[in-house]
Amino acid sequence: MTTLNTSFNPSSQEEQNRLRTMNPSAQTPSYFDSPEHARAAAQGLSSDDFAPVARDSVAVGLSRPSLSYWKDAWRRLKKNRQAIVSLWIVVGLVLFTLAGPFFWTADPSQQTLGRISEGPSLSKKAILVQADLSEWKPMFAEGVPATPETPVPALDLGAPQNFKLLSEPSTVAVRLSWDAVPGATGYKVYRGPYEPEAGSLGLPIVTVEGGNVISAQDAFELKPGPLHYAVVALRDQEESPRFAKLAVQIPEAISLTAALKLDPKAEAGKVLELPLRPLGSDYLGRDLLARLMSGARVSLFIGFVAPMLSLLLGVMVGGISGYFGGKTDAWIMRFTDFVLALPFLLFMILFKVVFGASAGENGIGPMLLAMVALSWTGPARLTRGQILQLRESEFVQASRLLGAKPLYLIVRHLLPNTLGVILVSLTFAIPSAIFTEAFLSFIGMGVVPPTPSWGSMCNDGIQTFLTHPHEFIFPAILISITVLAFNLLGDGLRDALDPKMRSVS
Amino acid sequence: MSLTTSLSNPQPLLEVRDLRVEFDTYGGVVKAVRGMNFAVAPGKTLAVVGESGCGKSVTVQSLMGLIPQPPGRITSGSVKFQGREILGLPPKEANKVRGKEIGMIFQDPMTSLNPTMTVGKQIVETLKYHENITPEEGRRRAIELLEQVQIPEPAARVDAYPFQFSGGMRQRVMIAMAIACNPKLLIADEPTTALDVTVQSQILNLMKKLQRERGMSIILITHDLGVVAQMADDVAVMYAGQVVEYGSVDSIFFHSSHPYTLGLRSAMPGHEEGPKNEPKRKLKPIEGAPPDLFHPPAGCGYAARCPYAMKACESKMPALWELEPGHASRCWLHHEAASRHAPAELYRGKTISNQATPQA
Amino acid sequence: MLSYIGKRLLAGLITVFFIATATFSAMHLVPGDPLMGNKAMSKEIRANLERKYGLDKPVPEQYVRYIVNMAQGDFGISFTQQNRSVNDIISSHFPISAILGVLAVFFAAIGGIIYGSFAAILRGKWSDRVIMFLVILGVSVPSFVFAALGQFALSATNKALGFELLPIGGWGTFSHMLLPALVLGLGTMAFLTRLMRSSLLEIVNHDYIRTAKAKGLPPLRIFFSHQLRNAILPVITYLGPAIATITTGGFVVESVFAIPGLGRYFVQAVQQLDYTVIMGLTVFYGAFLVFMVIAVDIIYGLVDPRISVSKGKA
Repeated sequence: MTTLNTSFNPSSQEEQNRLRTMNPSAQTPSYFDSPEHARAAAQGLSSDDFAPVARDSVAVGLSRPSLSYWKDAWRRLKKNRQAIVSLWIVVGLVLFTLAGPFFWTADPSQQTLGRISEGPSLSKKAILVQADLSEWKPMFAEGVPATPETPVPALDLGAPQNFKLLSEPSTVAVRLSWDAVPGATGYKVYRGPYEPEAGSLGLPIVTVEGGNVISAQDAFELKPGPLHYAVVALRDQEESPRFAKLAVQIPEAISLTAALKLDPKAEAGKVLELPLRPLGSDYLGRDLLARLMSGARVSLFIGFVAPMLSLLLGVMVGGISGYFGGKTDAWIMRFTDFVLALPFLLFMILFKVVFGASAGENGIGPMLLAMVALSWTGPARLTRGQILQLRESEFVQASRLLGAKPLYLIVRHLLPNTLGVILVSLTFAIPSAIFTEAFLSFIGMGVVPPTPSWGSMCNDGIQTFLTHPHEFIFPAILISITVLAFNLLGDGLRDALDPKMRSVS
Repeated sequence: MSLTTSLSNPQPLLEVRDLRVEFDTYGGVVKAVRGMNFAVAPGKTLAVVGESGCGKSVTVQSLMGLIPQPPGRITSGSVKFQGREILGLPPKEANKVRGKEIGMIFQDPMTSLNPTMTVGKQIVETLKYHENITPEEGRRRAIELLEQVQIPEPAARVDAYPFQFSGGMRQRVMIAMAIACNPKLLIADEPTTALDVTVQSQILNLMKKLQRERGMSIILITHDLGVVAQMADDVAVMYAGQVVEYGSVDSIFFHSSHPYTLGLRSAMPGHEEGPKNEPKRKLKPIEGAPPDLFHPPAGCGYAARCPYAMKACESKMPALWELEPGHASRCWLHHEAASRHAPAELYRGKTISNQATPQA
Repeated sequence: MLSYIGKRLLAGLITVFFIATATFSAMHLVPGDPLMGNKAMSKEIRANLERKYGLDKPVPEQYVRYIVNMAQGDFGISFTQQNRSVNDIISSHFPISAILGVLAVFFAAIGGIIYGSFAAILRGKWSDRVIMFLVILGVSVPSFVFAALGQFALSATNKALGFELLPIGGWGTFSHMLLPALVLGLGTMAFLTRLMRSSLLEIVNHDYIRTAKAKGLPPLRIFFSHQLRNAILPVITYLGPAIATITTGGFVVESVFAIPGLGRYFVQAVQQLDYTVIMGLTVFYGAFLVFMVIAVDIIYGLVDPRISVSKGKA
């Protein structure tokens, strides 16, 4: 390095001239601003503007208002639309469980064997029928002989006209009548679930002898729903190819005893409004909605309590292990590894068998116990890892150097940073617990019937899935929505509480 | 010793004019680069100096097209490499420039190498794609390159994984990868910041050696004035997303013509206040903090911290004014009306006047 | 590397031993004894049976016999099916469950990697959103719901098509395995998709990707050689626990699809309180899981050079 020419006076006029004449034709390189540009930038500046600005302190620049960790996390959570929706769903579920039964007072354990596996409906009417209706008297056509004088071949016989119901159909009997067909020696009545077509009229129900017998009663295994009747004229044993058809709707029926419960003044033939079953009923006639609420209580109870207890246990164990380190830590971790190695589901089942519930209990206790005993290892490991990491982190060391006592360190530094992780793991443990409970109940290793839980309701429902899907679908949907909501909430919480842990999305 | 830049004569290898880059973030739009102007001469080293966050990395990554365009945005500017505009090239063309004409090495050698691929494979990758050579030829060249960057036992090390090397070695591997295809320009983004001082010196010397052997230009980003003194031919001083002073290394050190440059030099250890034999001398940092790039000031970015600030500085952005050939500064102190207030330490060449300068 | 494997295997054996002990203790805490169910039994027969099963000996002795037998691979004879040994049960039914499980893991892994990669590449576009939505469904909906729905959908499809596209239950041919394996693997596939996606997206921000771009490599090459290779590691790690999930999920799928696998057998045994079978299967499953996890760890070690090389040196 050579020394600077100290007599060099950069601002003197000579120097200015020297510089101005040095390379007079040199263009300003394009990556500098041109003199015109510089003059343009100086537009509007007067010589006053070149006076120095008085300043006592230097501006530090803008700073944003500082937020506490939790406020910041809450703000971030609010921005996450999915998480907020999930939060509302969870709140809704809790309300459904706790407050629901006050609004929907149906009894979940009441079995109504007359209403097995009903589909969802908004209103159900039933007609009160008595076992005995008025005595059945067949009708005869006037002026028509039982046996026609001039026989007509079967193929020429016409279809009976005016095929109609004689009285309100019910599950007890359907009474029909028609007009006589000249030349017929008798009639045959068919019944089937589909509209009769030539060649398949249905099941033969009644055959009447006599061309003048123009009525029939069907009392054979009548169920509520649509039925189709057909009637053909007979000539001896041969049927006419022409037939008359009639569609009949058999209404829901209710027995007298049940009806009297609903309306003490009920009489035969009266149409009553049945208690509402908005979601239908299960295979024992119990109201599905009430049962779902009751099941929600069980499923959500387990879903909240099991993770919380296991978390409590895990955090304590992990905290102790992490904070004290050394031999304590080594032994605790070995024990944890052992518990971890046990195949979870198998031991759950074993627990169930061992502490099995006798009849009369609902099986929740053993299941809770098993779930807590086998899943505390996760939170324990997590907590221990966090505490170990935090213990050696710079800010804790700094704090310690400044003289902080252990209790202060724990409360002020270690816990808040662990809380985030704990909270997130809780939010994910809940759906996992609900899942496990559903799964166990589904294979019959969970709650003991008749206690409802969503999983056991799925188990019951799947047997009739192909014919009555609603019994399976409703509890399945509820399980899925709950698990979904908690998963999304957990994701949101994790993003909010630690941006570094963000699932990049 | 010349006070003019190495660019006084030949056509620059790289010319950057008025580069502006913004980013869309949660908090708004960050104007990270607000007007970068500089040039690199063939076979010479340009140092880009500035504090953390002033936009040095963003600038060079924009040159290479490494800025993801959402959320980033190059709003204006021109980058000419060997006379050819490379900003906004279609991806296929850009890929041909990257790695082959311009090589780049990064700050942290630990994380800049693929941990699951051998070092040799990573070097051969570049060669294979740009020059389409056979695997045997590739392996031979990789070993050769490792030798050139002074890695011992290159034939054995070529099959090693990055985690088996120390930091300094990894940086050498990075250099080998970057120069594999003989690029004309090597961009080094703080290559020695993550290394210890002895290794730092070795790496810098290696880079100088390679430059001499290959006639390669280097853009060296650093915040360390000592490195600048050791390596640079030309210097661009950056502050708050702009070039505030540009010139040869000698001009910058001996004719410092921007208050920020002056501040940087005084903040170096060795420039403490007080007599030299006093034990408790204080370092002279620059007070304050850089401006908020969400809402950058309308005037000079340094005004808030500048001890010589004038009213004009707060309201109007000064132009990058050429004080002497090849040496420019962005400061109102170079206006003739500021002549009374300009401090003695500040070098003033040609001044801005309100009349057109008469040609002599 | 070999010593690493050896150490893990030894640890595995110890774990299995602990599992066996724990199972034994658990079973003996149950009140009553295994022969309780058969009420109509004369005293002599009962005494004979007790002697045969060693139930008259003190518990510690039973334990020793149990461990010794187990070490020789003898799990005893089923209580409820008295002409079948537990080994017999395992050997005839386990292969079925194993095939089902392997197929399910295969589907899950392939699906997870492919869909996860698509989701990461098409990040932000609507196909990404669709995939992620399906993923969340897949993770939230219990496996038995999928099993039931799957079967229902299949039977409806069969009816609609007029012929049997795939059988809706039972076991025998490859087409019997397809749907159950798919249903079984769905939950894991969803999880792996999400894992793969976030792993890929995280790696995009890693410095060595930036280096690869700076080298001017084409994007496809960067994706396969650099991103995929490193992103797959967490997926492989998860495969170990995934096998556990899939094995346990197998119970349900086997029940719904009437597949004569070991899982369904286990559930039956538990319901019927068939003690030898329960103990034997528990230990067997436990051992299986332990060794699968070790196997996956070894595979991971082979794929990730950081582990294989350093372990080899150690």
